[in-house]
Amino acid sequence: MPSLTLLGQSVVSGLLAGGLYALLALGLSLSWGLLRLVNLSHFALALLGAYLTYQLGHAFHLAPWLAAGLIVPAFFALGVVLHVVFARFRVTEFTSLLVTFGLAVILESLIQWFWTADYRRYETPWASASIRVGPLFVPTLELLACLTAATLAVATWAWLRFTYVGKALRAAAEDPAMAGAFGVNHRAHAFVLSGISAAYAGVAGAFIALISTLAPAQIWAWLGTVFAVVIIGGLGNPVGALLAGFLIGVSESVTMAVAAPAWAPLVSFSILIGLLVLRPERV
Amino acid sequence: MLLEVRRLAIAYGDAPAVWDATLEVDAGEVVSVIGPNGAGKSTLVNTIAGLHRARSGELRFAGLDLGAVAPHLVCRHGIALVPEGRRLFARMSVEENLDIGCYRGEARRARRETLDRVYHLFPILSERRRQAAGSLSGGQQQMAAIGRALMARPRLLLLDEPSLGLAPAVVDHMFEIIRAIHAEGVTILLVEQNVVRALEIADRAYVLEEGRVVAGGAPAVLREQTRIQEAYLGLRDGGGPS
Amino acid sequence: MRQAIGLLAAGLILAMLPLVGLPAFYESFLYLVFHWVALATSWSLLSGYAGYFSFGHGAFFGAGMYTVATLTAGLGAPFLAALPVAAVVATLLSLGIGAVVFRVKRLRGELFGLLTLAITFVLATIVLNTRLDGGPGVYLSNVPLPRLVASPTGTFYLLALGLAVLTLAAAYTITSSRLGLGLFAIHDDEDVAEVEGVPTFAYKLVAFALSAGIAGVAGGIHAMYVSYLTVPDTFSITVPLYVVLMSVLGGARHWLGPAVGAALITASLYAFTGGQQAILGRAVVAFVLILIVLLLPEGLVPAVLRRARGQRGRAADVAVAPILAAAGARTEAPATLDCRDVWRAFGGIQALRGVSLSVAPGEIVALVGPNGSGKTTLINVISGHHAADRGRVELGAATLTGRPAHEIAGLGVSRTYQIPRPFAHFSALDNVALAATFGSARCAPAEARAEARAWLEFTGLGRRAAALPHELNLHERKFLELARALAGRPRVILLDEVLSGLNPGEIASAVHLIRQIRERGVAILFVEHLMRAVLELSDRVVVLNEGEVIAAGGPREAMRAARVIEVYLGKAHVA
Repeated sequence: MPSLTLLGQSVVSGLLAGGLYALLALGLSLSWGLLRLVNLSHFALALLGAYLTYQLGHAFHLAPWLAAGLIVPAFFALGVVLHVVFARFRVTEFTSLLVTFGLAVILESLIQWFWTADYRRYETPWASASIRVGPLFVPTLELLACLTAATLAVATWAWLRFTYVGKALRAAAEDPAMAGAFGVNHRAHAFVLSGISAAYAGVAGAFIALISTLAPAQIWAWLGTVFAVVIIGGLGNPVGALLAGFLIGVSESVTMAVAAPAWAPLVSFSILIGLLVLRPERV
Repeated sequence: MLLEVRRLAIAYGDAPAVWDATLEVDAGEVVSVIGPNGAGKSTLVNTIAGLHRARSGELRFAGLDLGAVAPHLVCRHGIALVPEGRRLFARMSVEENLDIGCYRGEARRARRETLDRVYHLFPILSERRRQAAGSLSGGQQQMAAIGRALMARPRLLLLDEPSLGLAPAVVDHMFEIIRAIHAEGVTILLVEQNVVRALEIADRAYVLEEGRVVAGGAPAVLREQTRIQEAYLGLRDGGGPS
Repeated sequence: MRQAIGLLAAGLILAMLPLVGLPAFYESFLYLVFHWVALATSWSLLSGYAGYFSFGHGAFFGAGMYTVATLTAGLGAPFLAALPVAAVVATLLSLGIGAVVFRVKRLRGELFGLLTLAITFVLATIVLNTRLDGGPGVYLSNVPLPRLVASPTGTFYLLALGLAVLTLAAAYTITSSRLGLGLFAIHDDEDVAEVEGVPTFAYKLVAFALSAGIAGVAGGIHAMYVSYLTVPDTFSITVPLYVVLMSVLGGARHWLGPAVGAALITASLYAFTGGQQAILGRAVVAFVLILIVLLLPEGLVPAVLRRARGQRGRAADVAVAPILAAAGARTEAPATLDCRDVWRAFGGIQALRGVSLSVAPGEIVALVGPNGSGKTTLINVISGHHAADRGRVELGAATLTGRPAHEIAGLGVSRTYQIPRPFAHFSALDNVALAATFGSARCAPAEARAEARAWLEFTGLGRRAAALPHELNLHERKFLELARALAGRPRVILLDEVLSGLNPGEIASAVHLIRQIRERGVAILFVEHLMRAVLELSDRVVVLNEGEVIAAGGPREAMRAARVIEVYLGKAHVA
């Protein structure tokens, strides 16, 4: 049995990793839950955002937050364009999976074309900074990512809950025709939501650039874990995604500490499989 | 004339549901449309509300051609629908459902006032305002559906089978409320299977049978017509076997 | 048949190539083509035909690889002896997954895809952390490779060729068999397939097992071919990605589609060799996938065939001669349908409260009642779509309650749906032939088509045999439902609002048809709102209200009962 400090440290790093999962899960959960589109290319977009942040910082010495300031609006536009295509071809929930699968591969190839398959590391002065709380170390950047995830999740939740557009989106997800009868133009809202979803991928990308080592195949590494987070959290539920992110993150890192690091994926995927088989009506 | 429907034909895909419907509703009236299951009553009101497009015929509201209005803008002109089976947004709270009712234009600015009126009409909705609409009882759901439509501050309220699946006492209450709404100056087009109720409350009524309006007039006259018995029960005459 | 001979001939000619001395480079290239042909074709057995898109083909492929690696490198078993074991391991794995997952109705479409992907990752984690691999990977370079021909590449070439030909033969056999017909029906509408008599659970399991077994063998061979395996490479996204891509490109519902897709994609990836070009190649392939999904959703092979057939189409139509085949005249021994005290609730709503009724052979019983009175629920309970909470449904001596829907269909119960639910990708003829194959008629496929033709003639759809459901109008689709229900040679037929939405002329011809069906000694229970037709057709009427029988008897007496008038018109009219 590992020591209490080690266990505490693994809970902390689990929470932090969970924040990043949640950041990636947010956009996915929104488009799946409210637009009924499963966007596999979300991960590829996030990684593209990471490489762009890296490139802007590396080649043009642009600070990461300034880079994010360029990338996030650009990704919003990209998300809108993506939905124009989906709407034009009347892409269904299932075909969206295939189309975005293809898109993810294209983006991965694009990344590999420009930045090669070599590992890239964005060296910043903050990379190794951390805050000390008692015996525990909290890396600053990861804490920032986690706080951003929490802020975005709560803000998105509030937006969906308290604004007319948010309520209209939720109503249209349940019964588009009825929402339409009360004046909700859900086709127009769908573009906004798709843009927001892609913009969140951009935000996640900026943090990924700062926190992790970049490699094109990273796209597929997140896939299973983040889908588990989205489904456990409940589709279209941002706060649910945040909490599920924490749950998966902590269970993974505790598994790493108690068993072996390589066993970690077993936890999240087992939860996902169990949930799908036992409670499929939740999805 | 507030609503004019002339020779309307409506189809789902290629399945015709309404062949030939002509009817009118004057401002301040309660007009009932009665007829057996599958006669096309719901299709008719849903089309007026903009949920379907008519295949042919004319649909005018206060002189405006509704066929040329985008579906999500129909409500802006003062038409609100209480659909068959309520179709509330089950996962949203009662108050959020009401908010969708006043989503468009002027209704949104008058939200506070209309909300008070709806809660005054249905105090139970005020108590349950934070509860998910899907967790309400059938009668409460019907109230929420009517409340949602009232939030749009309609000139014409389309009510589709408001008594369906409700206990008799609740049905009584529902019709009292419909009367109260009418007394406030809202014009009502009511679709109802319950012939007695529908004729009791109406100024005028139409009989829809197999997608066609086959009779229309004052309730007292219609009540005596064997046509209704024929449409519902298939009995050609009121009494003995035919 | 011509296709089967062609396949065999192509296989034999290709098998000769190593003997005449094909350069090793081409042997390796063709090995990869065959490898992917086998994998993609095996994937489509379940995922293409039945529409259960799996992203977990890599799990079975990987299971095969590690089985061979463990048995040969670890335990010293000979390679060729390890291959069948690889098939068995992968098959057992799929049976275990299928036995659980295929029972959960919601796990279709994208959820099944995600689930299988997650299973792949779980398997990968287990292999990585146990002695099967343990982390560093497994070398097979010391395992002796049996020499089928002189060169090792030639040996791999022949092994993969053999597997590809066998897989294609299996795919061809399945698509033209009862199993294939059932799987295609599951793809279009699983619930209806079950009600038409397709044993959906068993069929999915068989297709999954075959699919996984072949992937296991392909993995086993590939383990030797690459001779060094690691967990990340084996269980990567590559296998599921490529098999989906190849199948969708070529046409996942055609036996040859995935093979064509596999050949095209492998060749185009080979064309872009070397660093940067390979990356570009992948992007191009992915872009083609998107275009195909958006613009040509059925895939290349079916699209090409359709175009070719379109030019010959006229001739084929004429061949549908108006012959009333004698096959249609046979009917099973008549039996009485008996419902006794049937109860059924949904959540808190009691849809049926002790309904009892019976329909004798040659009798027409109308089931009427207001909306929500439980009419369609009763039909669903009789046909086995819903289980009864209490009570029994019997047909002659057989008890129907408690049986799965496909068995009930086999005993001679067919039904129609209020809104027609034909199999969207089946021609009118095939829709009816499916019922003849799986209903109580149990025809062999060829016989079923003759039978189907007879029933199409009977319902006046003879000239529309080749049309797809979306090309039919509502009246034709309603009559197609009838033809399909009749083709099962039912003893009881349940008609759910066959007349709604029809114009008076069409109603008259439907009424005439229903009378003819009765002449055959079939028991008919029909739900109908159209009272004129009820009075005209029925021998007896049963009136339901809130799940209870409130009146029964001759049509006019039943409809005149005080309770019935009250339910329909309200209290005032009773007086």
